[in-house]
Amino acid sequence: MPTTLAERTAGPPVGRTWDDMDAFEAFLDAGGIVEAHDDMPEAYRLEVFRFIELHANSELMGGLTERDWIPKAPGLRLKQIFLAKTQDEIGHAHLLYMVAADMGKKSRPEMLDDLFAGRTRFHNVFHYQAVTWADQIAIAYLVDAAAFASQRAVFQNCSYGPYKRVLKRIVAEEGFHMRHGEEMLMRLAEGSEIQHRMFQEALDRWWMPAVQLFGPDSSDDDPLMRWHIKSQRNETLRHAYVQKYVPLLQGYGFTIPDEGLRHDPDAGWLISDIDWSELRATMRNGGPDSRRRIATAAGSHADTAWVREALEAAA
Amino acid sequence: MTRTYEVFLKKAGKDEFRHAGALDASDPEMAVTLAREAYVRRGEGDDLWVVDRSHVLVADPDFVRANEDRPHRHNDGSAIAERRRRVRDAEETNP
Repeated sequence: MPTTLAERTAGPPVGRTWDDMDAFEAFLDAGGIVEAHDDMPEAYRLEVFRFIELHANSELMGGLTERDWIPKAPGLRLKQIFLAKTQDEIGHAHLLYMVAADMGKKSRPEMLDDLFAGRTRFHNVFHYQAVTWADQIAIAYLVDAAAFASQRAVFQNCSYGPYKRVLKRIVAEEGFHMRHGEEMLMRLAEGSEIQHRMFQEALDRWWMPAVQLFGPDSSDDDPLMRWHIKSQRNETLRHAYVQKYVPLLQGYGFTIPDEGLRHDPDAGWLISDIDWSELRATMRNGGPDSRRRIATAAGSHADTAWVREALEAAA
Repeated sequence: MTRTYEVFLKKAGKDEFRHAGALDASDPEMAVTLAREAYVRRGEGDDLWVVDRSHVLVADPDFVRANEDRPHRHNDGSAIAERRRRVRDAEETNP
């Protein structure tokens, strides 16, 4: 008797099994793709679930940040762009929560509850306050570019099939955001002196969080590397980001807020050593704006409870 | 009650329907609306199917595999290729 997909998702694994971790890792090294119903090792299931949950939380928190700027965006076109981007980010969160929920560790409502109670994590860059419109552009371009680079690196060689498939859509949509982002940056850069200065001030606030997003240098036994979730080491991605964005920002006439920044003829642009204690504190939801951000997200979910209740009642 | 739905998309005149992902919705009407808003924002498809997850039948992988070992359903053309090679070699030896 065939089962239904709903029964299968709720039930025990029925797909492929592996004798031990060595066999599983050999499967991954040969380019194998794991599917939701496979009997994957518990350590892999948990680690990949946590990674996707972190990504989902970050998309949701990023979308809510973006939403705050819809009423403040100057002009109808930018308001439309911000509406669309907000919908994209919340949409990404939804896709990711569905994929995460199907791993059987937590339901979607449980993940939201944990996020709003501050029990789970989201990207460091959404723990800071955006003060001016230029801050939001720094987020929409520089910070999104950092997140985009790390997502693209996951997409490249992702061993978990359902995650790889939603990443394809997410990466494509982030590409649109990048183009909007650079155009908005260009308008400030080439605008009035005040606009130019406003972006420089935003860059001074956001450069470090963006560079920190990649995290400290990868350890040699990072399970996410071994299990083909991450395809590149943190420091490789960070270095590539610096090579692209230092000259780009300088080309628009901005100064990188790093006195130790230097150019090496062989290695390229090198930034000062990073003090990782800030990132560690931020990722424990102890960043400058963490509490307000989490409270705002929780409040927004609570404020819309009546919509969900009305839909349930009408169904 | 909220139910989970699976979303399938197809472009006009191209390929087959493809699984795009899943979503939670309170009823079929919301499911179709949310499917459009979550999966078809930039022309990803012209046709949209939304199926209640509890209506999708899944065959057991062992059941699916039953037809794997049926070499008589294939022909790799090696016998014909072998003859062509023989004829060509013969022509080269006796032009």
